Amino acid sequence: MESSTEDYRIQSFDLDTQVLLKTALKDPGSVNLEKVSNVIVDQSLKDQVFSKEAGRICYTIVQAEAKQSNGNVFRRNLLNRLQQEFKGREETRGRSLQEWVCYVTFICNIFDYLKVNNMPMVALVHPVYDCLIRLAQADALMNEEEVDCLVLQLHRIGEQLEKVNSQRMDELFFLLRDSFLLQEGLSSMARLLLLEILEFRAGGWMLSSTAHKYYYSEIAD
Amino acid sequence: MSVWTRDRRRDVHSDHHDDRSSDQNRWSHRRKRGVDGSLRTNKEAEASDWEKGSYRHSDNRHASFTTPESAGPVSRCSHQADWGSQVEDDEMRRDMHIDIQRYRRRILGTDVTQRERKTSSGSSGSCDSREGDNMETDEAVLLRRQKQINYGKNTLAYDRYIKEVPKHMRQPGIHPKTPNKFRKYSRRSWDQQIKLWKVKLHAWDPPTEEDQDKVLDNIEVLDLDDVMDIELDFPTLSEFQNAPVSTGSLSREGEECLGTPVKIQKTEEPDTA
Repeated sequence: MESSTEDYRIQSFDLDTQVLLKTALKDPGSVNLEKVSNVIVDQSLKDQVFSKEAGRICYTIVQAEAKQSNGNVFRRNLLNRLQQEFKGREETRGRSLQEWVCYVTFICNIFDYLKVNNMPMVALVHPVYDCLIRLAQADALMNEEEVDCLVLQLHRIGEQLEKVNSQRMDELFFLLRDSFLLQEGLSSMARLLLLEILEFRAGGWMLSSTAHKYYYSEIAD
Repeated sequence: MSVWTRDRRRDVHSDHHDDRSSDQNRWSHRRKRGVDGSLRTNKEAEASDWEKGSYRHSDNRHASFTTPESAGPVSRCSHQADWGSQVEDDEMRRDMHIDIQRYRRRILGTDVTQRERKTSSGSSGSCDSREGDNMETDEAVLLRRQKQINYGKNTLAYDRYIKEVPKHMRQPGIHPKTPNKFRKYSRRSWDQQIKLWKVKLHAWDPPTEEDQDKVLDNIEVLDLDDVMDIELDFPTLSEFQNAPVSTGSLSREGEECLGTPVKIQKTEEPDTA
């Protein structure tokens, strides 16, 4: 359907890699899919824009491979690489906030795009929660980058996550309420974002039109 | 990336747990898809750990002998498994449930035509019919069986077979027939059926370069192995007679063994090769 590679934002790769990815999309059997998955993860960890959309290219490759050979080599490698990165997430965060934020964005995007029989992948539910709950800790809330990432992910996949495990969503939102009320030193921007996400979930994962006006009218100006 | 390579190498070796020792080379070098392209066959290491896991009955009997409709929780034995395998298990489990429903509809359908319609249990009845009772519903068992079937189907031989022999041409006792995973069988009976099925499928193995030279040798070796295996497993047949559910399968089992598929295979090999 979308053979236009523009859609997958792969222009930022070098030429060889672009060719590799284009081939993976059309004829996954003819390329080293382990390499492809690594290329995609590596780029996602570097490039915040790509990490937000990488789920789509992954989805397409998974579909193509399943259709071509009923295989799932790409998905397996992708998930196992994600797991490997997950294990080292605290070091990653210590080393580079940006990479950590990219990682969370990417895993959430994969959670959003890759489904098993139209259901979220159970294996990712707890890891995704672990990441989001990490972002809701006091030290992370001091960084606007991380707050931004947290609320963005919740906007995108909060509802799905809650459906598969509402308990942990409650846990996460207890943290968010507490922080909103009690945490010292939170920037007003962070408080605004937290307030919005609290309202967003309270409204059944959408904002009322008045709330929307409140949060977004200034931007329109 | 050395971890990955090692991982994959282990996969290759552990792919064939149900074939036991002697089959390994034959199966691996005829795989339909290479290490890189194989479907679902990869994490056999986990799978076999999994089978030894604690939720199996300690007396080594089939779970279905004791608990026909296992209401236990879905096996969460994937704690130590990697995410890729977890998702594959998950996928397989969901496919299996779709499969179960389809099979139920099918047997309920034939039930209505073959027997007199039951009093009130109209169309979309429950599976409490007699056929339903006789159906394997233990998820762990079904998943294990499905995996075994997948290994057999993931071969060049299987591809060649289904291409060369259209469905209506297949004759029971002569051509391989995939065992019915939804029937209740003892573990041994099932494993034996799988083994015989695979042995028969080998008749459609594609000739490779080495084989061209020594086709005959290969056949000899193969047949000898299989005869040995069958004979080694045979004493267990007497156990089937005592088993409550598998009496129906006994005759089938016997037929298949006595039908010496090995012989037939021998005569067919020159034609197909």
